Amino acid sequence: MVQLRPRASRAPASASAMVDESQPTSEEEAEHGLLLGQPSSGAAAEPLQEDDEGDEEFDDEAPEELTFASAQAEAREEERRVRETARRDKTLLKEKRKRREELFIEQKKRKLLPDSILEKLTTVSQTNIKKSPGKLKEVNLQKKNEECEKGSDSKKAKVQKVQSVSQNKSYWALRLKDQDLRDSRQQAAKAFIQNSLYGPGTNRTTVNKFLSLDNKRLPVKKAAAQFLNNGWGTQKKQNAKRFKKRWMVRKMKTKK
Amino acid sequence: MGEFNVHRVRFFNYVPSGIRCVAYNNQSNRLAVSRTDGTVEIYNLSANYFQEKFFPGHESRATEALCWAKGQRLFSAGLNGEIIEYDLQALNIKYAMDAFGGPIWSMAASPSGSQLLIGCEDGSVKLFQIIPDKIQFERNFDRQKSRILSLSWHPSGTHIAAGSIDYISVFDVKSGSAIHKMLVDRQYMNVSKRKCIIWGVAFLSDGTVISVDSAGKVQFWDSATGTLVKNHLIANADVQSIAVSDQEDSFVVGTAEGTIFHFQLVSVTSSSSEKQWVRTKPFQHHTHDVRTVAHSPTALISGGTDTHLVIRPLMEKVEVKNYDAALRKITFPHRRLISCSKKRQLLLFQFSHHLDLWRLGSTVATGKHGDTLPLSKDADHLLHLKTKGPENIICSCISPCGSWIAYSTASRFFLYRLNYEHDSISLQRVSKMPAFLRSALQILFSEDSTKLFVASNQGSLHVIRLLEGSFKHLHTFQPQSGTVESMCLLAVSPDGNWLAASGTSAGVHVYNVKRLKLHCTVPAYNFPVTALAIAPNTNNLVIAHSDQQIFEYSIPDKQYTEWSRTVQKQGFHHLWLQRDTPITHISFHPKRPMYILVHDAYMFCIIDKSLPLPNDKTLLYNPLPPTNESDVIRRRTAHAFKISKIYKPLLFMDLLDERTLVAVERPLDDIIAQLPPPIKKKKFGT
Repeated sequence: MVQLRPRASRAPASASAMVDESQPTSEEEAEHGLLLGQPSSGAAAEPLQEDDEGDEEFDDEAPEELTFASAQAEAREEERRVRETARRDKTLLKEKRKRREELFIEQKKRKLLPDSILEKLTTVSQTNIKKSPGKLKEVNLQKKNEECEKGSDSKKAKVQKVQSVSQNKSYWALRLKDQDLRDSRQQAAKAFIQNSLYGPGTNRTTVNKFLSLDNKRLPVKKAAAQFLNNGWGTQKKQNAKRFKKRWMVRKMKTKK
Repeated sequence: MGEFNVHRVRFFNYVPSGIRCVAYNNQSNRLAVSRTDGTVEIYNLSANYFQEKFFPGHESRATEALCWAKGQRLFSAGLNGEIIEYDLQALNIKYAMDAFGGPIWSMAASPSGSQLLIGCEDGSVKLFQIIPDKIQFERNFDRQKSRILSLSWHPSGTHIAAGSIDYISVFDVKSGSAIHKMLVDRQYMNVSKRKCIIWGVAFLSDGTVISVDSAGKVQFWDSATGTLVKNHLIANADVQSIAVSDQEDSFVVGTAEGTIFHFQLVSVTSSSSEKQWVRTKPFQHHTHDVRTVAHSPTALISGGTDTHLVIRPLMEKVEVKNYDAALRKITFPHRRLISCSKKRQLLLFQFSHHLDLWRLGSTVATGKHGDTLPLSKDADHLLHLKTKGPENIICSCISPCGSWIAYSTASRFFLYRLNYEHDSISLQRVSKMPAFLRSALQILFSEDSTKLFVASNQGSLHVIRLLEGSFKHLHTFQPQSGTVESMCLLAVSPDGNWLAASGTSAGVHVYNVKRLKLHCTVPAYNFPVTALAIAPNTNNLVIAHSDQQIFEYSIPDKQYTEWSRTVQKQGFHHLWLQRDTPITHISFHPKRPMYILVHDAYMFCIIDKSLPLPNDKTLLYNPLPPTNESDVIRRRTAHAFKISKIYKPLLFMDLLDERTLVAVERPLDDIIAQLPPPIKKKKFGT
């Protein structure tokens, strides 16, 4: 796969080059539009339209005299310019592809365990195939642990993900990915129940209003619970205090 | 009764967590209750509704479903996706098994009790086989599009109904495929709600499926044709739970408004045999959402966000109109959450995830009887000790000298040493607890704070000597061979020689701490022990049972005392036996050996053994004797039980010294103030 990509990228580029060369100079403008107009917006197309208009205006008047040499030079110049832009586009495209290719390779490398571990793993598994699977796992685990100590943090996480069996019961290994998934699912379930019981449209009142219902029907009226209980709504009270302070300051300023 | 200065403590900010599920077991007449913090409690309905066992909660274990299967096996499932089986003997979790279907919303045991069905977040319905000591995954049913919130078996075990969002599916158990999908109307009083959540389904043996949903409807469906038969709009809010009686002649639904409705199958006319479901009785015992209901043969049981467990006996099912037919409302746990250090006047409050240590205030003022004295020094909040990890605290204790604090969670035991220097306090954890001290059901310090007694959940009792900043393991009393019952209550004699321990059903064991051996066993009684204490000097063991009986047993003589025998001969006052909350604490007066102080949640009583016992004709709840009355009448009306109901709900009461009492109250209004908001209701005149 890695080797195929550059070849595939080369093919369209060479084709466009071929088209460039085979195309006669009279179709310059069309080619021009194709190359410049496509990637960019109207900014590139506008000068072309102007050119067209200019041609039509000239048609009405008598043709201007042009020497063959100058016309040829002009045409060549035009051709060269077009070819140059085509080449520049091509190189840019190539470079972009190259960069992406490198990124792919790097990502793949990042996903894999380091080479040294892979090598060790393959050699160990080849030698230990005849041995019991439990032992093999242990050996692998030991190796991994050694690597783990050497390796960076990201590598550590990867190694932890591998399920392992151990005789030492003072810890157990688990896949962090599974735990995250489970936690997020549990959170989602809790959010669902919270939303369906206390979310919008559930017609809930506040505790204070609820407590005041009884109070309103009592023959002897008492103060609302929020005033009787000092520990109640401390956050709200603090906010109110702050608001009052600010309001006073604002009033003082406006008076002056 | 004597006069006391009373510290009236109201700063214990305890809020019980809301009830999520109840499950009734007909065989043993027990009720399992799970709370939102994951705690599971077992109530014995035949033993005066006593909470005899409990399993501590866990932060990540939000229980959503609870059921009994195979007779006495208890299972729970929750949002962490695990099915848990509880060990009712050893009081711990037998195993937890991942169902691999995401959070679990519902669970139902098959009518035969051999299979377990769970409904998951991902829309799968999974069938488990219950085998001895384990459950085994059998197969999946056809997967549905959205979460399965409720499940019900057909009594024959051939079909199941599963409630989801906006529809109910009927499955064939043999093939595992859905045979009907019944769409539920989203319309609610001509207003289209977003979703219609089917909170509960019930499958009757004639093929009717009853569903309750978030639009406030109770609907009857014909499962053979998949059509709606009848629709009852009963509430403006969600109907959250349903339970059907075993005879299928009545069922109960609970709504978010706090009302429960009783439906009964009654004849259309008095002569015809045609019967119809009719809404008969509404009950409003809750203020908040009724998240769960259960139907025992004689009572409707409901529980919800307002943390009350309400048991409403049905009058037509009760044969004898006695006090058993009265409404029961259980709010507070039937165990102690508070311990007290008498010497330093400290109170230790136990919450689910932290401990609070307070120093009581003091006063220099004096006053008449009934006066409220101004505090010269306010109560101090000395310490706020948070637990590590997600597990709830099982038990905690502060030593009488106030310099040790011990508490235990389901997997760890913690011991702290407190140092007081003038006004500051420093805390030092005693590290390196031995491996056997992993979890404790009850912790107790000896009176001189040199020994620590720990009842572990394997049934053994550990005795530990405390030294300055360290400890030494002295002895372990192993349970008698063949019994696995764990000890839940401990009492130690003030001289430190005797240790009494009691489990949930077997008798009370008395150990000799000096010789480190079993001294004797008090004969087992039919009802579980609710409180234990050993009197100073005489070493009489006082035992309170859940049927309000009180026994006094002399440890040195190995027999019941003379007073206890006369009490049993004469019997307690009938009003005393009708009290519905268990006695949770017993203490003694240091100067008057004839006094026994007991309290439950609604009264405080001093039993004076020197006075005659009340018979059924005398007034039990005597008002305080007026002073101007002649001495003769006072003496004639005086009897052994002196009851005060001033302080309620009373969570703890103890004697600090001979003149001072401390009473910890928890007013219900303060609890309501901290609960989630209730549904808005229009009340006339407000």
